[in-house]
Amino acid sequence: MIAPALILFTLFLVYPVIYSLGFSFTKFQGFGSPEFIGLQNYISLGQDPFFWRALQNTVIILIVSIVLLVPGSFALALLLRRKVPGGGALRALVFGPAIIAPILVGLIWVFILDPKIGLLNRLLGFVGVAPVQWIGGDTLTPYAVALVFIWGSIGFAMTIFYAGRQVLPEDVMEASELDGATGFQQLRYVTIPMMRETFAIVTILMITSVFKIFELVYMLTGGGPVHRSETLVSYMYFTTFTNQKYGLGMALAVIITVLGAVVSVAYLALSRERKTA
Amino acid sequence: MSFSITTAGRARRLAAAALVTAAAMGSLVGCSSSSSASDGPTTISLSMQNPDVKTADPATWAIIQAFEKANPNVKVEVTGEAVAEHLQKLSIAAQSDTLPDVFWVYKSNAEDMLKGGKLMNLSPVLSELGLSDKFPKSTVSNFTSGDAIYGVPYQGLLTGLWYNKKILQDNGLQVPVTFDDLLAVAKKLKEKGITTISNGANQSAFSVWSFLTDLDRFGYADKIDGILNSTGSFNNADFLRLYQHIAELRDAGAFASNVSTQTYQQAVDQFTSGKAAMLDAGVWGSSAIQKSSVAGNVGFWAGPQFKDGVGNQNIIMNVASAPLVVSAKVSKDNAKLAAVKKFIAFYYGDEAQQMLVDNGQPPVTTYKPKVDPSSQSALRAALDAASAPGVSSPESQPDLLVSTPVANAMYDSIYGVIQNQLTPQQAVDLVQAAVQSK
Amino acid sequence: MRTTRTDVIDESMSTDLTGTTPEHQKPKRTRRRAAAIASGAVAYLITFLVVLPLLWIVLLSFQPSGNILGNPFSLTNLTLDNYLTVIGSLPLLKMYGNTVLIAVVAVSVGTAISFTAAFALTRMIFRHRKVQSSLRFYILAGLAVPVYILLFPVYRLDLAFGVFGTYAALILPYIAVSIPFNTLLLTGFLREFPSELEEAAIIDGAGLGRLCWTVVLPLMRPVIATILIFNVVYVFNEFPFASILINNPDMVTVSLAVSRFQGQYTVDYGGMMAAATLVLLPQLVIYALFQKQVIAGMTVGAVKG
Repeated sequence: MIAPALILFTLFLVYPVIYSLGFSFTKFQGFGSPEFIGLQNYISLGQDPFFWRALQNTVIILIVSIVLLVPGSFALALLLRRKVPGGGALRALVFGPAIIAPILVGLIWVFILDPKIGLLNRLLGFVGVAPVQWIGGDTLTPYAVALVFIWGSIGFAMTIFYAGRQVLPEDVMEASELDGATGFQQLRYVTIPMMRETFAIVTILMITSVFKIFELVYMLTGGGPVHRSETLVSYMYFTTFTNQKYGLGMALAVIITVLGAVVSVAYLALSRERKTA
Repeated sequence: MSFSITTAGRARRLAAAALVTAAAMGSLVGCSSSSSASDGPTTISLSMQNPDVKTADPATWAIIQAFEKANPNVKVEVTGEAVAEHLQKLSIAAQSDTLPDVFWVYKSNAEDMLKGGKLMNLSPVLSELGLSDKFPKSTVSNFTSGDAIYGVPYQGLLTGLWYNKKILQDNGLQVPVTFDDLLAVAKKLKEKGITTISNGANQSAFSVWSFLTDLDRFGYADKIDGILNSTGSFNNADFLRLYQHIAELRDAGAFASNVSTQTYQQAVDQFTSGKAAMLDAGVWGSSAIQKSSVAGNVGFWAGPQFKDGVGNQNIIMNVASAPLVVSAKVSKDNAKLAAVKKFIAFYYGDEAQQMLVDNGQPPVTTYKPKVDPSSQSALRAALDAASAPGVSSPESQPDLLVSTPVANAMYDSIYGVIQNQLTPQQAVDLVQAAVQSK
Repeated sequence: MRTTRTDVIDESMSTDLTGTTPEHQKPKRTRRRAAAIASGAVAYLITFLVVLPLLWIVLLSFQPSGNILGNPFSLTNLTLDNYLTVIGSLPLLKMYGNTVLIAVVAVSVGTAISFTAAFALTRMIFRHRKVQSSLRFYILAGLAVPVYILLFPVYRLDLAFGVFGTYAALILPYIAVSIPFNTLLLTGFLREFPSELEEAAIIDGAGLGRLCWTVVLPLMRPVIATILIFNVVYVFNEFPFASILINNPDMVTVSLAVSRFQGQYTVDYGGMMAAATLVLLPQLVIYALFQKQVIAGMTVGAVKG
């Protein structure tokens, strides 16, 4: 019963990764024929300041997003589970941003964050605050990208928490209430521990999604100025398709895949340790 | 507690799942259309660098329509993507031997494909059709590698700065000639809060055409071979001076405050809505300008002359852009070959060249076009600038002479200074580093 | 025996809101009510903040193009022109038809095979336990793969299988990409979910197939609904595969058509915002419908109590 999934997955996901891994050891411009150069692409990346900048930006986005998004969406799921009038509509509205294609999300936020034509600076202008370079400057862009990412994902994460809460057996919850547990105690000692897997699901999904952020940056700044706001994938896109260094781009893609997997596994290992401790 | 399952149960599940998948796939594969019959009209595929050729590239669209009308036995199947996706697709297709028959591609990629035997040598076709002498000499030499001509010019690349006469007049300014004039204009307009040169780096780092011409005003054509074979360097005193001038322009407030987040299209929009005095672009912008409210007030300027420049300062960039090339597979299919020949003959015939002009493009052959002075005033201005007495053109645009990574580094170096992210020295170093990393 | 949604609410109300609580707990009751009102207010506030940008798009979608960059707050010249442009130039019927077809096949097949796989990975004893958990990690590692690594090889696979130019060219990679995500959710929830019920069913003599489909599946309804929602959204928004694997204009998907629209009307921001609104609406409706399933799970869960 596992075979169909395993076959399709291996064929269309694992095989391509191995295929691209092969290319990462070559010099290949996309149109000629690939030439084996060993680890040269990985070495060049290590010496490329733009790569390190992209990594730094991705880490900033990762930290900001995880710290705000996981507790935030969990709290929101619990809030919306209570009998709030119109709760269903609220849930649908919060989920709204998660439905919009990332490329459109980026476009929408250009109209909010652009230092000259954006909504935010216009509003700040009304109260006399000088324009802030939310995007396109030297420093703020990754934080702005994190904000937009959170906006686009909160409904997504909230829905998973919501579903996770729904499958908890009601009898356990009721028993704890009858035992006189306060709302907070119930949350701390019953709900959160029982939803450990859900937390793992959301966190891993968010980690791997952050490592794949591309369209947001592409629309907001195009990675600029001079690659200062690239994320790993946007820089990989630039390297592979704009700069046509296919081999180098695949080396970068391999690094992204490994990083995403390692961070996710590290999280799993850490959370398991805490469970046994 | 969990449980194990019987082998029979597993097999049944597996079979059922496989059956569902197979049935779904089978019915979907069945939907695909079978390949076209051999006795009908010949179809040639044409793949372009615009997502929607009909609206984004009306000149090509008009030529295709007229061609199909004149040749009812040939059907042209046009497809297109934005440049990045188009190149991505071509790269994948080249590796899989599924290239379209005729397509747009960058010169450096075309040369790689030629080496790989993926492109047709057009030299015999051009002589057979009597077209060899209809192209300017520089165009043919541009698309020649060894003794093969691998491409024909798609459209002309006539670039410079469009300017708004009214904004200049209202502020008591003349159309600049030298760089110092331009600097003075920028300072004056800055006081009024008007952008002097409209451009945008977001997803369009390549939109630095007027500065590429400036490189030629600092001896690029003579230096580039040395730079590429390591006897010279992009990090030289002349280029450094140019980048220092770009920094002076930036400090004078010539550029929009949101140049980093603005796209090229937004930059055009700023100019056509009368909010910027100049637009860094080329002749392809003439149709948008013609349709806008500033149409009556627009002129075309070849760009500043530098008193500390190198060589001839009175130049304008008027060269062939990227080529149209033909897949090598076409030569193995007689019907297709005949159809492609007909298409090339038509594209470079006078009727089609006039269509280019009617759609705001300069002709790419030696054809002398008819331009309506009022309804095509913008195009007229550009063509006049290109044929002004004493003006000459470089053989090619600087970025077309180098590999794609070096070209991208050039764009980044220029925008890096404009956006105040790179010093002039860092800018030339960036390009030199790209040249050295083979 | 099925309880309805109202039964459940009544039941939960009886534990904390009705008069059955003893007198001495009254202060706690008012405190709870205050907390409920406060949390309601917070929920509304957060929702408002999240929705604000959406409202901004909707407002812009009614603005004439000149206003968007100049005077976007103006409410005087609102127009339907942008929608007319979009409806006139987007192949609405075609793009929704294609996308729905692809989504239905990819999502149903993808969810079905992921469900059986996840069931096997959490509920069946493999001869070696290590094999089971390694298989799970093997599939979950797929989450970390960025799509751009896949484009070129998948294109070649499609050619090799002779499916290029058919819907299957897109459906196969869509299923493959959805497998790690589905597996993460399904195995996670299945592990969290107690197995006593299944044991009871086994004792009652249920076969494995019946167990998987008639006992576990219904209990997992909220999760399955969540997976369906996310997978449908993924297919609707997927662009990189679609742009490489679809050559035929008759087979455009929603995301492809919208991106072409964007390429074509690069500075028609009003048009783009209208397009975004038009694409968003049907998907919100789909979400609202599936969401009922997420809630329905609550009643099933309550049956056990």
